[in-house]
Amino acid sequence: MPCRAQSGHDVHWRSTMADILRIEGLTKTFRGLVANQDIAFALAPGTMRCIIGPNGAGKTTFISMISGHQRSDSGTIRFKGQDITRRSVVQRAQMGIARKFQTPSVFENLSVFQNVELAVLGTRRPAAARGARIREVLDLVRMGELADEEVNSLSHGQKQWLEIGLLIGNDAELLLLDEPTAGMTAEETHATGGLIRRLTRDLKLSAIIIEHDIHFVRDLQAPVTVLHLGRVLVEGAFAEIERNEEVRNVYLGEE
Amino acid sequence: MTGAGGQPRRASLVLLKRLAGSESGIAIPVFVFLAALPLFGSGYTVFILPQYMLYGVLALSLGLFWGFAGILSFGQSAFFALGAYTIGLSMKLGWGGGIVDSGYLGLILAVTFAAALAAVVGFFLFSVGIRDTYFVIITIELSIIAQQVAITQSQITGGGNGMFIDRMALNLGPIGSYSLEGDLAIYYFVLPFPVIIYFALRWLVGSKFGKVLIGIRENEDRLLSLGLNTSLYKTAAFALSGALAGLAGALYATHASFIAPSLGGVLFSTEVVVWVAIGGRTSLLGALLGGILVAWISTYLSAITPEYWQLVLGVLFVVVIVYFKGGVAGAVSRAIRARRALALNDG
Repeated sequence: MPCRAQSGHDVHWRSTMADILRIEGLTKTFRGLVANQDIAFALAPGTMRCIIGPNGAGKTTFISMISGHQRSDSGTIRFKGQDITRRSVVQRAQMGIARKFQTPSVFENLSVFQNVELAVLGTRRPAAARGARIREVLDLVRMGELADEEVNSLSHGQKQWLEIGLLIGNDAELLLLDEPTAGMTAEETHATGGLIRRLTRDLKLSAIIIEHDIHFVRDLQAPVTVLHLGRVLVEGAFAEIERNEEVRNVYLGEE
Repeated sequence: MTGAGGQPRRASLVLLKRLAGSESGIAIPVFVFLAALPLFGSGYTVFILPQYMLYGVLALSLGLFWGFAGILSFGQSAFFALGAYTIGLSMKLGWGGGIVDSGYLGLILAVTFAAALAAVVGFFLFSVGIRDTYFVIITIELSIIAQQVAITQSQITGGGNGMFIDRMALNLGPIGSYSLEGDLAIYYFVLPFPVIIYFALRWLVGSKFGKVLIGIRENEDRLLSLGLNTSLYKTAAFALSGALAGLAGALYATHASFIAPSLGGVLFSTEVVVWVAIGGRTSLLGALLGGILVAWISTYLSAITPEYWQLVLGVLFVVVIVYFKGGVAGAVSRAIRARRALALNDG
């Protein structure tokens, strides 16, 4: 059983009945090296969660097992009540799990519009509704002006936002964001925080966000799960995590 | 220019301008030229050109798969030969039993068999995640096997001596049957195939299917994470590519009246790759014209310098790969875009 922050008010976000994502006993080893060990995790619909932890804590492995890019050795993953542990990346994406990669994975040689179009083509929306939907998504990520630009010519930050736009255009319900502010300026990082908060709030999306930037995590005002050596060290509101002695020792102290 | 008279003229001008800026602006004049060519072309040109048009269709089959899905195939000749031998056998053995025209049946079976072979190969390779170089190597094997089978199964294929067949006839049922023995007749019988296939593919690459193929070329992993089953699309694209190559092969066989095992070989497949690379693989018109013109030039070169023509073509190929990745079509469209940007700046 992972130790948790002892606090009364973490119960309200840690619902048990209708979790959009519920993970039990998730374990993954790479050639004997433990990446994730017996992780229990639950996320209520329409909520955000930040995952932090020192390098090698198993954050990306954890997200990869949710998106299907890595198979777990043991444990179960339930999404909207269904066991998806053995489902493929494609099947999970079709169910509404969408992932943003650490280095932005977009279609570099295509236009911004064509990028979002491909995301929309991955949904079951009828052909007649696609054009309007693409425009809507571009407006949501504030990239309408850049629709005809080739992605090559965008800044690193804009590519990150575009990739988030792809997840929205794909009708994702659960966003898995692996370091969405990597390589961004302070200003861009701040804007990204606003974007993620706005999208999850307005579209009632759930999100799991891996982050290194502690100011960004504070900005998001979301509960935090701390991973350390592949295990859940502690979970709780940001303020509690910040105060937690153990967390300070393994992680925050390094900053 | 005033009032009522000016409007339509301006509208037609706009249409002309738009046409001139698009691929169709080149494609339509080319097809009109091909349609009019027998009026002034020599007898030999009328005889030989359908063959190059079918090479053009073969090049289109690769242009679709390589240019749009981004996957190179050295197996196109295998499908071409499969189509050729299928119609050959159908006509020789009188498949259809006199009830169904054996030429038509041969064409239909050629397309079906080639599509089926490509679909089976594609399905098994793509569904287990074979990509890039490994796929290319397996398509090379496909060509090697095709040529070997054509040589060794001599009781069916005629082996190294090849297979002679008659030209099929244009059978219009109750209206009668028209011979395609004349070069002019078969010229106009073949001509609609590259035209229709070209425009059908143009439509296809603008559809959802084509857009997903481009997505596969650009970033397949991203598409998978967006819930698109890319192996299904790749298999369908390869099957379509095989079907087109098979059709081209069948028409080629009946036009040439002779099928040689080398039609299935790696060497011929490599030529197809060279045509498409030089023509420009991301443009269907580039691939089509590459097939027609480069094949034509190769024949010409082989006549004037039988020792060195392959060397000339090889050097040309290397130059294109190194300096003009988009081939001639890519260079032309870049030049047009640059001129347009210049015009915009001046205006």
